[in-house]
Amino acid sequence: MHLLPKFDYYEPRDIGEACKLLSQLKGSARIIAGGTDLLVNMKKGLSAPGSLVGIGKIPGISEIEPVNGGISIGAHLIIQKLVEFDLIRKKLSILSRAASVLGSPLVRNRATIGGNIVNARPAADLPPPLIAMGARVRLKSRRQEREVPLDRFFRGPGETAIKPGEVLTHIVIDALPPFTGGDYVKLMHRRSLEIAIVAVASRITLDGPDGVIRDARIILSSVAPKATHAVRAEKALIGERPSERLFEHAGQIAATECTPIDDVRGGAGYRCSMVGVLTKRTLSGALREAKGQ
Amino acid sequence: MKKLITLIVNKKAFEVAVEPNRTLAQVLREDLGFLGTKVGCGIGDCGACTVVVDGRPVNSCLVLAVQANGSEITTIEGISEGAELHPVQEAFVEYGAIQCGFCTSGMILSAKTLLDRNSNPSEPEIRAALSGNLCRCTGYQKIVEAVHAAAGMMKK
Amino acid sequence: MKEYSVINTRVPRVDGRAKATGKARYADDLSMPDMLYGALLQSPVAHARIRKIDTSKAKKLPGVKDVVTAQEAGAVKFGVSPARYDETIFCIDKARYVGDEIAAVAAVDLETALEAAALIEVEYEELPVVLDPFEAIREGAPVIHEDYPNNIGAEVHQEFGDVEEALKTCDLVRTDKFVNKKQDGAFLEPQACLAFYDPGRGLTLYSSTQAPHYVQRTLAMVLGLPIGKVRVAQPCVGGGFGPKASANTLELATSLMAIRTGRPVKMAFTREQVFWHSRARHQFFHELTTGVKKDGTLVALKNTCYLDGGAYSSFGIATVYYAGSLLGAPYRLPNMKYDGYRVYTNKPANGAQRGHGGVAARAAWEQQLDIIAADLGMDPIEFRLKNIMQRGDITCNDFNMSSLGMKECLEAVRRGSGWEKKRGKLPRGKGIGVACGFFVSGAGFPIYRSETFHSTAMIKLSEDGGTVNLYTPAAEIGQGSDTVLTQIAAEALGVRYGDVKVSSGDTDFGVDLGAYSSRQTLMSGHAVKQAAEEARHQVLEVLSEQLNIPVEEMDVKDGLVLFKREGVDFSALRTRYIKEHRGWTDPPSGKHFTFVEAARAAYLARGTIVGTGAYKPGELGGKYKGAAVGTSPAYGCSAQVVEVTVDMETGQVTVDKMTDAHDCGFAINRTNVEGQMQGSLSMGLGEALFEEVKFDGKGRVANPTLGEYRIPTCLDMPNVETIIIESNEPNGPFGAKEVGEGAIMPTIPAILNAVYDATGVRINELPVTSERVFDRLKEEKERRKEV
Repeated sequence: MHLLPKFDYYEPRDIGEACKLLSQLKGSARIIAGGTDLLVNMKKGLSAPGSLVGIGKIPGISEIEPVNGGISIGAHLIIQKLVEFDLIRKKLSILSRAASVLGSPLVRNRATIGGNIVNARPAADLPPPLIAMGARVRLKSRRQEREVPLDRFFRGPGETAIKPGEVLTHIVIDALPPFTGGDYVKLMHRRSLEIAIVAVASRITLDGPDGVIRDARIILSSVAPKATHAVRAEKALIGERPSERLFEHAGQIAATECTPIDDVRGGAGYRCSMVGVLTKRTLSGALREAKGQ
Repeated sequence: MKKLITLIVNKKAFEVAVEPNRTLAQVLREDLGFLGTKVGCGIGDCGACTVVVDGRPVNSCLVLAVQANGSEITTIEGISEGAELHPVQEAFVEYGAIQCGFCTSGMILSAKTLLDRNSNPSEPEIRAALSGNLCRCTGYQKIVEAVHAAAGMMKK
Repeated sequence: MKEYSVINTRVPRVDGRAKATGKARYADDLSMPDMLYGALLQSPVAHARIRKIDTSKAKKLPGVKDVVTAQEAGAVKFGVSPARYDETIFCIDKARYVGDEIAAVAAVDLETALEAAALIEVEYEELPVVLDPFEAIREGAPVIHEDYPNNIGAEVHQEFGDVEEALKTCDLVRTDKFVNKKQDGAFLEPQACLAFYDPGRGLTLYSSTQAPHYVQRTLAMVLGLPIGKVRVAQPCVGGGFGPKASANTLELATSLMAIRTGRPVKMAFTREQVFWHSRARHQFFHELTTGVKKDGTLVALKNTCYLDGGAYSSFGIATVYYAGSLLGAPYRLPNMKYDGYRVYTNKPANGAQRGHGGVAARAAWEQQLDIIAADLGMDPIEFRLKNIMQRGDITCNDFNMSSLGMKECLEAVRRGSGWEKKRGKLPRGKGIGVACGFFVSGAGFPIYRSETFHSTAMIKLSEDGGTVNLYTPAAEIGQGSDTVLTQIAAEALGVRYGDVKVSSGDTDFGVDLGAYSSRQTLMSGHAVKQAAEEARHQVLEVLSEQLNIPVEEMDVKDGLVLFKREGVDFSALRTRYIKEHRGWTDPPSGKHFTFVEAARAAYLARGTIVGTGAYKPGELGGKYKGAAVGTSPAYGCSAQVVEVTVDMETGQVTVDKMTDAHDCGFAINRTNVEGQMQGSLSMGLGEALFEEVKFDGKGRVANPTLGEYRIPTCLDMPNVETIIIESNEPNGPFGAKEVGEGAIMPTIPAILNAVYDATGVRINELPVTSERVFDRLKEEKERRKEV
């Protein structure tokens, strides 16, 4: 784990040039954004791309912009900015919260939201809240630009719907309906520098300030090859009046909807139990935020 | 193939030819002689290699030197003015926040950047700001006390 | 209490400024012209016969200047205890763990060295692997060292009093098992070293080591050099905690290649290699049986322990003794039996780490004592107070408590933590726990059988009189020995802190056994104090001759010479001094004669003034086998109260507050003592809650990173209220004794006892992860349903 292997380095000036490079270099090129994941893998000998394409100098992909009541986030935005920016803290607090428990401040000052998505690690912190908020990713290639709901973007560990020659440029979250709230809880060993043992992102939309639940999303993380909806638990909430008992019940259902493995961070049985607890807690947190608005 | 880059380190511009696979930590230490930046793990787990890049503290072992082309970098060598120590350095020395010293460079830079944007941090804010810098010797308490004291010194 | 000028203060560290400004130089910061870079080839398999090594391709790679294997390195065995020298620089016929060193390369740059190491072809004949110590001692298990066919590298059987008889007299007898996990030192600075050789002056090795003396002797022995032609010197060292207290292949191979190539060679471990090298805390499997009377009097203890030693002995003989002997105090215990077995397995070797063999034993026993106290309906602090030893008591295994502030420590933490207000009154999920512990202030005997002094020191006064040069071979590894020894020198001489210039950690300065077993404040401190007093005496003798005043009527304090009588006329000496310093703008003045002038006068009379000191402990300990291990001139002790919050749904434990009282005899530097307490507690907390080195089925370390081997971050460590207790140790310089390792002893059991208080469940296996607590809570819930 001393040294990085040798590679060629390119720094395209715009996305078009970046896509062109990726096409030309075919499978041997990787994009480098923050590098906090890629460079670690390269140092560990798990990855050895022949070329790295640095997109840090490309304009237009590092901003947070309000768009039609929603928000557009440039893929190269560093994660620490999701913690700092008022717009995110106020309108997408679940994302701020998830960002604040990712890695450490030093990692967050380099790692990007795009990188956290594209690396598709089962325990990544940003996909679950983004999926809960209905985010879409914008992918650009030489020929076209398309959007994919994040719900349908992940295929498995390290695998996404991104095609060769495509670059993820923006994450778009549409305006959230009124009386919507979200929460993200990450179970960790230490309080920093940790990958989740289990994490859950929940979102609730109420019918009115004291209404029933109109829409519910429960995204389980680190308990399957990719972040997944606890579909039956979500269904059990629709049309119901929110209560601690209801959330506990949803938690119990969610606990049966995951298929975790035993690994260095925890056992499968424990993870399922924790899905139950975290689901209940994030639903309570989401409710508090939904009512607060 | 080597790339010619410019790193502005401690307010001075350095032009250096580097292979793309060299990290900022390596180039600072080996090419430019800034040995105050330490390498504890090489993969971003410990924070010993922290330097400030364009105002933000980062693990320099995970920054390619070529990515830092044109950036303003501050290392531990860059925060004192001649013989006069920066208040964070003074406080670290006075409050017993240093034992083996290997985490110290990184710890001081993380603390300094905190105080640059938050002149009166609470204890939880201090601890959060330092949460990417590991220390095995001190148990962190005197480090937190030193940062708190430095905040007081910087206000004067 | 005597008034001191320099000691018992909070003077800032002598090396603080250099470290704060990035000027401190550690081993990997060093370079020399013409330097080569080294890389190791290590075994990828846990147990194999080495059939063939082909270095031809490596040698041919442009830029490679040397490739060495056992063929070039030879077969001289080394290790820590001479009775168990079982290591060679490189594997000769067998590799015994993943990471065992096979070869090394020196090349013009690191890339080339690594590439060359990868080109060395080794034919391994894989042998069956044994990773579990209980498997390893079974009939038919693979034999790791031929000399130990049952894989038991060291065995200890001790009995004091008569445990079986004593247990019969007890009203309550309990047996409990306990297991910790293998640890890693996790110092921030990986080992690194730079060697260069000059045929005339010999070998010089700069190394990130805790024990230059032991490394020097090992280099001399293994490489066949006269000891006097081997110099080991420390650059700044980034932490040690035990694993850096013995010579390693990095140092030996680098030195070998420096000799062979005639060029300086530098080599460093990656963080991963630090885990492979290990020499860190063992895994201990304890079974303790304790018997008490119903009034809480401790009567007997039976302790059986199996240690997973890994592939080589390292410090293991000492460890297996300590795992028993360190329960002999701080409670009066008339009957103690210990059976310990250190077992070889095909994993990285375990050695000494902060608290050595005492930490797991203390964790196990202090938790068991709490259970017993609860069974007797006694408050755990009261139970301990009832049994603690006092100054002058001798343990059943012959440790003499020449000072012991254990009672004061316990009462201090009871007060400081608000115990009475909290114990038994906290809601479910919140808990408070207590524990005690103690540790040696330096091992009573050196690691190799010898009559050597444990520490020597030299003080040379600068000829102009103004500066005191302290040359101590003691090892500064971050714990602050440079500072403390400077303070002791200044105090003993009577000069100011800033007048002393310390140079340390260099075998050219003398013999010091190094920074381990918490010995330096006491032992190196004694040597330095003696050297300072000798230098002072020489100066006062000259003054006495020149001023015609008896030495006993003079004192030196804060750099001034004080005379008992009034009106001493030293003007002639002052005039001479000023004449000799014509041109200086700050001549000595004032009504007091300065030590600078006195030291100058002494030089003019006698030549260079040098004081030397040498310390070895007196007669210590018992006459039984293994009596040596645990004997010490003094013992430090600690009491701790910890408060925790346990999330009853997830099992997550948060340590909210810690109160620690440590008896260090006399605090030479109060800030440093607190720092050692807080640091010890953070390592104890890490071991209690997070730290564990894991292996896969093939004996490979599964988590060789600081991301997956979890030491506490700034957000995990609570604030510690530190209380310094000073019992004035008669065997310590100025009454000082240890603090570096005693404070970690109560940490793990105080946390365990607090977790029990919060949850009602006992955890007998570390680390106390949220999953472990969750499982225990679930078990307990199930058990209650059945009842």
